[in-house]
Amino acid sequence: MAITYKTFNNADLAVTRTLLHEVIPITGSIVSGTYVEGTTNETNIKNYSHGMFQSIYDYPYLSSSANHIMDITVGYPADSAMSNSSPLAQQMQPKKINIYNQMSQLLVGFDHTGAIRPFDKDGDLTGGNKIKEAFFITFARLLVKDEIQKNTFRMSFATGGTAGNSRFLNSMTVGDYGADSSYKVNSPAGEYGILYTSSVTPNEESGVGLLYYQAGVAVLTASVFTSSAANDFGSSFGSSATSADTRNINTVLSGTAISASADGFRTRLINVEFNNTTELNSTIYFCRANHNEFNYSSNPTYLTGSKIRVKEVSKDQPLAYITTVGLYSADKELLAVAKVSEPLKKTPQNELTLRVRLDY
Amino acid sequence: MAFLDNSGDIILDAVLTDTGRMRMAKGDGSFRIVHFAFGDEEINYANYTAVTSSGYEDLEILQTPVLEAFTNNASSMKSRLMTLADTTHLYLPVVKLNESYSNNHKRYSADNVFIVAVDEDTAVTDASLNNVTGIFNGWNLDDAKSFRLDQGIDNSAISPTIPIDGDLTETQYIIQMDNRLASLYAPDGTSAASVSFIDDDNVASYYVTLSSNPSYVSSNTNADVVTALQVIQGSRGTTCEFKIKASTNLQTSTYWFTRLGGTVTTETVACRYIDTFIRVTGQRTGYSVDIPVRFLKKV
Repeated sequence: MAITYKTFNNADLAVTRTLLHEVIPITGSIVSGTYVEGTTNETNIKNYSHGMFQSIYDYPYLSSSANHIMDITVGYPADSAMSNSSPLAQQMQPKKINIYNQMSQLLVGFDHTGAIRPFDKDGDLTGGNKIKEAFFITFARLLVKDEIQKNTFRMSFATGGTAGNSRFLNSMTVGDYGADSSYKVNSPAGEYGILYTSSVTPNEESGVGLLYYQAGVAVLTASVFTSSAANDFGSSFGSSATSADTRNINTVLSGTAISASADGFRTRLINVEFNNTTELNSTIYFCRANHNEFNYSSNPTYLTGSKIRVKEVSKDQPLAYITTVGLYSADKELLAVAKVSEPLKKTPQNELTLRVRLDY
Repeated sequence: MAFLDNSGDIILDAVLTDTGRMRMAKGDGSFRIVHFAFGDEEINYANYTAVTSSGYEDLEILQTPVLEAFTNNASSMKSRLMTLADTTHLYLPVVKLNESYSNNHKRYSADNVFIVAVDEDTAVTDASLNNVTGIFNGWNLDDAKSFRLDQGIDNSAISPTIPIDGDLTETQYIIQMDNRLASLYAPDGTSAASVSFIDDDNVASYYVTLSSNPSYVSSNTNADVVTALQVIQGSRGTTCEFKIKASTNLQTSTYWFTRLGGTVTTETVACRYIDTFIRVTGQRTGYSVDIPVRFLKKV
């Protein structure tokens, strides 16, 4: 009987899982300094009237070409020194506490009493030092995709500078060094690694932050900015920052708006780099054309006056050319199509197996 | 779509069709790949020079550039490769419109299309249009006109007295048309066919079979060698016959005529029209015919 469809059997299907990685470089010039309108207005930085966080785009955000790349915000818990005794009158303190609580309940979870757990420096939630004052860098899903690949995250930033000098006088690189073999799984938001500076030997107390791989969130302790001799954490962008804005991190964190702290961090950011991961679940369909199958065609040009063009006499072998593979449902609806880059000749002398992979 | 790079290794470019995505989104289990088929719609077999016998017979065919896959399900796999156990076939059947059988199956010769009058005013009341060959009553189907297609080997080398091979006889046809415009009816106009499915582009597919729908599909037992009533010169297989009824929307409004069509004067009558086609495909051999159809509504 003439047939044009062939039914798959169990041996014709295979399911695979592939992890695809892309390198994501975010240079400091993207997050500050490139899209400046006038002297201080950065058009790729979006601040909101609620003031809870600051969004960074790779292009002026009013343009449809702009892609959201990350947000920066800051927070500390109610028992932080920032909220108790501040060098300046506290600004947006409830919002900073809310941010910290929101991030910690999402990323660290609750203890047995239902209380929100604070971020822990080494991931051992039973005790040890906590990260109280923190910068939160939340990366867009566009960049993170399914997750950040472990031991690929590196972030360089200036930690301060003496007034009048370059703010990049002192810099630091942090990363999830060694996380491909050592990471934590006690977070309700998935796996996370400890961020260390490039110069230290990782140990329980040398962590400076946490990186949540699936959530795409970096938590950086604000204490990294207190090690600079001058403690300069000026928040305004431009030349005035290096000469006049000499407030230290404590002052900025507690005494200015969240956006000002975000500005201070953003303008010190030198580079962020990581590999993202996309998990591809694939079904491979093996489309097998045996020697005695698919040797004729229903192409209208195949016949001239009902005679097969590619045959002179009946004993000539039939042949046809494959350019397309169609995958069909049980009711013969075309669900997927695959094209080969050049026609494949099919005759009774050959057999073909075309491997069609559909990724989900 | 661009051409695929054919300078190096053979690559395979696979995509889900719009229907595939729609079924996946439904989440009801209707996205399940069960069958496959091979297609060759880019190939022009007229470029095959069988007499060359020098290894270059199919050079032009093998150099045919192939476009990237279309996501529109209706745009791909229009011609499929076929499996036949017998490799000695020299002739294969075709499906042809039979306009010779009677005037009731002819197209409207002036415009070279089959015209379907969509409402009473056009199909019945207007004396200039209602009895014209090639203008079908698509309003209440109260005429003897119908579409007729014959299947068989259209070559006198295989006499019609010789029965067609059983594996080449079409016993099922797929009739596809725009569901917004019309639906399928039996050739006597009394009963509507059940639609098998309607895809995301509003293309309705009807399956009619020899065993279940004898009014649509019948064996063509005529074995006359010389006859003006047949279009298949050789062995004859089956005949597929049907009518189409204009949709209520076409009957009662000009919406689709405004969007998809234009105006035309037919038999001195000013009308609105929509041009479309009905595709009839033999399920067994995959051979298909596109029937040009014009829906007509008097202004």
